[in-house]
Amino acid sequence: MQKIINVIVNGEFYEVSVKSNMTLLDFLRDKLGLTGTKGGCETGACGACTVLLEGKPVNSCLVFAVEAHGKDILTVEGLAENGQLHPLQEAFVSEGAVQCGYCTPGMLLSAKALLDGNPNPTETEVKEAIAGNLCRCTGYVKIVKAILVAAEKMRRRN
Amino acid sequence: MVNYFAVGEPIPRVDAVEKVTGRAIYGNDLFFANMLYGKALRSPYAHAKIVNIDVTKAQRLPGVKAIVTGKDNPGLGGEALKDYPFLAVDKVRYVGEPVAAVAAVDEETAEEALDVIAVEYEQLPAVLDPLTAMKPDAPLIHEALHTYQHIPVIKPIEHTNICHHVQFLKGDMDQGFAESDVIFEDTFTTQMVHHGAIELHMAVAQVDPAGKITVWVTNDGPHRLRNDLAAVLKMPLSKIRVVSPPYMGGGFGGKGGLKVETLCIALALRSDERPVKMVLTREEVMTSSIVRHPSVVTLKTGVKKDGRLWVREARVVYDTGAYAEKGPTVCQQGSVAAAGPYKLKHVKVDGYCVYTNKAIAGAYRGYGIPQVAWAHESQMDIIAHELGIDPVKIRVMNAVEEGDISPTGQQVLHSVGLKECISRAAEHLGWEKKPDQKNRGRGIACGFKNTKTPSGSSAVVKVSQDGSVEILTSSIEAGQGPKTVLAQMAAEELGVPLDRITMVSPDTDVTPYDASTTSSRTTFHMGNAVKKAARDARDQLFAIAAPMLNVETGELRVEKGEIYVKNKPELRHSFAEVIKHQYGAGLDIIGRSSFYPVVQRETGGMWSAPSIFWMFGAHCVEVEVDPETGQVKVLKAIGAHDVGKVINPITCEGQIEGGLVHGIGPALYEEMLIGPKGEVQNTSLLDYKICRVLDVPEITPLIVEATHRDGPYGAKGIGEMTVVPTASAVANAIYDAIGVRIKDLPITPERILNALREKELNK
Repeated sequence: MQKIINVIVNGEFYEVSVKSNMTLLDFLRDKLGLTGTKGGCETGACGACTVLLEGKPVNSCLVFAVEAHGKDILTVEGLAENGQLHPLQEAFVSEGAVQCGYCTPGMLLSAKALLDGNPNPTETEVKEAIAGNLCRCTGYVKIVKAILVAAEKMRRRN
Repeated sequence: MVNYFAVGEPIPRVDAVEKVTGRAIYGNDLFFANMLYGKALRSPYAHAKIVNIDVTKAQRLPGVKAIVTGKDNPGLGGEALKDYPFLAVDKVRYVGEPVAAVAAVDEETAEEALDVIAVEYEQLPAVLDPLTAMKPDAPLIHEALHTYQHIPVIKPIEHTNICHHVQFLKGDMDQGFAESDVIFEDTFTTQMVHHGAIELHMAVAQVDPAGKITVWVTNDGPHRLRNDLAAVLKMPLSKIRVVSPPYMGGGFGGKGGLKVETLCIALALRSDERPVKMVLTREEVMTSSIVRHPSVVTLKTGVKKDGRLWVREARVVYDTGAYAEKGPTVCQQGSVAAAGPYKLKHVKVDGYCVYTNKAIAGAYRGYGIPQVAWAHESQMDIIAHELGIDPVKIRVMNAVEEGDISPTGQQVLHSVGLKECISRAAEHLGWEKKPDQKNRGRGIACGFKNTKTPSGSSAVVKVSQDGSVEILTSSIEAGQGPKTVLAQMAAEELGVPLDRITMVSPDTDVTPYDASTTSSRTTFHMGNAVKKAARDARDQLFAIAAPMLNVETGELRVEKGEIYVKNKPELRHSFAEVIKHQYGAGLDIIGRSSFYPVVQRETGGMWSAPSIFWMFGAHCVEVEVDPETGQVKVLKAIGAHDVGKVINPITCEGQIEGGLVHGIGPALYEEMLIGPKGEVQNTSLLDYKICRVLDVPEITPLIVEATHRDGPYGAKGIGEMTVVPTASAVANAIYDAIGVRIKDLPITPERILNALREKELNK
């Protein structure tokens, strides 16, 4: 069954007809062409598909597109503003937190959700915030460091 | 000491901005007009005859465009041993083997079609245990093994399930054991492990009106794949095009060989020139891509009282599952390292690669060596404790050095930083000062890793009219950083800033030959090719610039995209000016080079020569064990690795950190569980546990540089070595903490509690 949903994604308004069993992940990728959000497991286990739904991190493979009706969504494509990388993105680049990059979009959004609510997290809080995001390449060392570096940069800026 | 401006510098990855903005394109991001979607029907049985496949109902479904079964199989493929059909022919050999595939207008229709394909099977006895499979009366999994084509180094044993047997012999075993003071014999096992790359396997295939096949696929060897496909399809290489998506979301060896691309091509050949896309589900990736070989390793080692290793006999059995895949060469590469990186007088290794009716095992970061390192490093600790010698000292005492004959006697070793790795890792942990806390322990383990030899790499470095540079290689960016380190090398040779360089993604129609992005070979092999190609381009520019500047070419230097006179730096021209001077109407400067190692002897193609380089490394860990629950927590992990010469410290550290954690998973948590019917039971990342951030200890990467005379700037490799010694370092630390020796991986709480119980009983 098709349903029409209204969503705001990265600040843009969309009105789209979707199948009622379509996931938010497939909606973003296949309907909107926002392929920055990655799928990895279909079961909410890997966190690669993490996006922010009303500011909260969700596994978009576990959310139906119709559940996002009337809501605000942020994906990795919406992190940079006016061509300026978000401090988290800058820190992921400078600290070497990126390897294959497949988990990176999800990591960034989990980290953003953390820093939005807690600008001065401890290392443990950072680890807890990304505990649902799997990475097979980096050993997480530089990812944790990058999030702490970004947090400090954002605190100084504010 | 040479000063470099790009090589050796901690330059941020050239692909990082694309990746943090979501703009990086991976295989699954490819969409084509008029595209069909493919799905595969897979065997529920480990071993069964296919009596009949009825596709008539599926054919009638609207939206179904093509159906293929084993009848459409074009032949048998495989890199080392050709045993692999595109779809099962006449019988299935593992649970998850494709028996039919459908291309339809969307995935749902393709899935519906699978539901109405009726397959009639007649079950056969399945063989799940490799030691049982080796017995003379075991049911044969490949009756026609004796007819399969294979590369010269592979030695199948006819009419058995053994698809490769390799033997290495040095010295005299009887004499060795007779001269030994103490003899140790232990058997160690490792489990089936999954690569766990987060990106799923995919392919898109299309056939054009002239019959040329194009396949877009995340495969770690585009030219190798083209060779494999051309051989099976009996087509000229030029009629097959393999295009790599710009980025691979992790590979670790799991995305090579023939996987989803074969199904996709079989469908595309029957889909009226429409592109067919297939993306495996996570469950399919777990059951039907590849895994790391389970192994059984027995070591019999004779030592002198003072701790010198004297003689070692190794019997290594790799369980390769239903098809050989890269198993035979995994067995070859692992067996040659099975005695460990030690000065041994007498060595005998027998390596066996054995078919079973299980998931296919193939290449996996380390290529057979993590399995043998688990054995030799665990036994090294047993020997050290029995003789009352410190585990660090006994390793340093026996470690191979520059100029030594390799343990299996094939070559003289060069660029050997092993002792420094051992001592630096131990020193960093503060080895001498034992932890005060109860149930805490420390362990060390080391190892070495070879690279497939000989193997070739070609590169083209193109300087365009504005002086910007493109580098054409067929090296795959799977996260390990070739785009960055190859660009650094070209920047160094051409004297151009990194942002002026573009790395072209592999496309066999465009980028020249490379054996594969595997075997930790890219920095060394492709690095050499890119370095020389960049020099070739530079020399061509010098030849034009010398008369412009009234000097000999030998007086010219490069920096910041300009050519200048060494002793008069004010005399200079930009690359653009130089090119325009000679070619006013426009032309490119094309530098080119190929690298093929000079080897001591070559007896016939792939894997036939001793490794052109060896990587060395040592890991130290500190663990805490809870004797009530059997839980192990790794608190600290240090990895010291000899990379020859570091090209980029950030990516190099990233390899060590990632490799350490990639080693902790299989040491403590990861195991693909095989049910009584041969099926993989944990097919999701919820049930198959790879390390989360909360499982990660304090990690320190240490880089050792024993430069290699043939490496670019002295560099070797790094990627695979970083997973080699982790599991045994953890096991050795557990022994140090609670005095129990675990010989089977993974080291689960159950195994620890059982061992503690046994220790109590034997008191």
